[in-house]
Amino acid sequence: MTPSRFHHAVITGAGCTEFSRESGRSVLELAIEAADLALADAGMERGAIDGMLTYQLGDSVVCATMARSLGLDRLRWHNDIHGGGSQCASILGEAALLIEAGLAETILIYRAMNGRSGKRMGQIGQGAGDGMEEQFLRPYGFLGPAHLCALSSQLYMHQRGLSADDLAELVIAQRAKAAKNPRALLRTPLTRDDYFAAPMIAEPLRRLDCCLETDAACALIVTSTRNAKSAAQGRPIHIRAAVRGGGPGIAAMDKAGADPSAIFSRHVAPLIYEAAGLAPSHIDLLQLYDAYSPLILQQLEDFGFCEPGELHEIVRDGRLAQNGRLPLNLNGGLLSEGYVHGLNNVIEAVTQLQGRAGERQTPGASMALCTGFGGSMGSAAILSVEP
Amino acid sequence: MTAKPQPQPTPLTEPYWAAASQGKLSLQRCTACAVWHHFPVPRCTSCGSDALTFEPVSGHGTVETFTIVHRSFAPGFTGAPYAMAWIALPEQAGLRVFANVTDCLPETVTIGMKVTVWFEQRGDFALPNFRPA
Repeated sequence: MTPSRFHHAVITGAGCTEFSRESGRSVLELAIEAADLALADAGMERGAIDGMLTYQLGDSVVCATMARSLGLDRLRWHNDIHGGGSQCASILGEAALLIEAGLAETILIYRAMNGRSGKRMGQIGQGAGDGMEEQFLRPYGFLGPAHLCALSSQLYMHQRGLSADDLAELVIAQRAKAAKNPRALLRTPLTRDDYFAAPMIAEPLRRLDCCLETDAACALIVTSTRNAKSAAQGRPIHIRAAVRGGGPGIAAMDKAGADPSAIFSRHVAPLIYEAAGLAPSHIDLLQLYDAYSPLILQQLEDFGFCEPGELHEIVRDGRLAQNGRLPLNLNGGLLSEGYVHGLNNVIEAVTQLQGRAGERQTPGASMALCTGFGGSMGSAAILSVEP
Repeated sequence: MTAKPQPQPTPLTEPYWAAASQGKLSLQRCTACAVWHHFPVPRCTSCGSDALTFEPVSGHGTVETFTIVHRSFAPGFTGAPYAMAWIALPEQAGLRVFANVTDCLPETVTIGMKVTVWFEQRGDFALPNFRPA
């Protein structure tokens, strides 16, 4: 097994605010709370932070504002990355690179948003071009990421012979996991009848196939192994590799090449295994970006966890359960826990690898794959207990 | 009910909409390497040339993928379910246009359905749409 790409960078703290549909607080207040929780988890003071990274879509507070609010005056690096879900895994790689290069010692990563009560995520534009493409889409009633995903998923499911029954299995299973998660927005168990009674949004996506716009903030502390404090609440988690990339596909389906159903994982999967020197068989925890349920199916196939013909079985045979061989989205994922642009799924991977997930804990998780989706662009990271 | 939006052309795309007003589906084509482009591009992505023009296509196509939208926030589309589709054109592999599939019940739309262009008058514009062939 190849050692970690990032020998000196570890995640030592994570923090989340309450997840709600109406926080009643500013995005800045949410971000500060998550940062303080992550610092406490890492056993560190605010003053230890000398690097800061965030991602946003014009809906959050920039690093400079955060630094001022936290009373920091010695930042050595900070960056406000324009982006959404595609960033949640690669941002770990950026933090690790800074630490490897010695340019920062302790980095705060955060994503804060009033995604329901403020700038609603479900109604942003396609965001894949310079705006020119809107004239070819909006007059036909195209609006937002759900439509993009519906068009892609419809084709993918058609190609693979998948049905609403397969999506129902996934959605019901994730809700059952969320029932063990006090932070999850949606914890009521679902039946098949509940799934099929949910209103259709854009075929094949029913409301329950779509994540829930959320008001929340999540934060992580990435620091050097030298600096990882014994005061940290949990064991340090290693970032073995992270990649970011993409290719033709749904992000701009007009230029999607031969297969407009392709999402980021088709392009990113070979990159992450090559970067990490690992194979799918090494992975024992999946925290896959699931803003829409069919994205899970595509990623399971693309990342090599099952053959295309096996998708029908993998959602039914227990492999993805808490005690299965490939536990998936044990927080309930973006579908049930809430939607903080994927950073909450990453935090669940950290918590599980630290063995601190309580009732949700999967036994022996040692190597987790986390992903970030942005249409046909995206990112992946592999986190591990061992260096 | 809010009116359905009209397109907002840019200098790059204006010939597309002008042709549509004349009842023609015209797409951008590179005069140097003959590759079609849609949506329009400022330079040919195949050969880099900026010698681009607009040429009519047959108007026949196939539904490559589609969705039926049941609950929409899109202005002008908040009523009955409607079908949106990427239509693959025979002129070139990977060449596709986006449109509504009309003149049939949305639930009858399928991947692989043969369709033909027609033009929906909307304000000062004519919008290419497709109906079963």
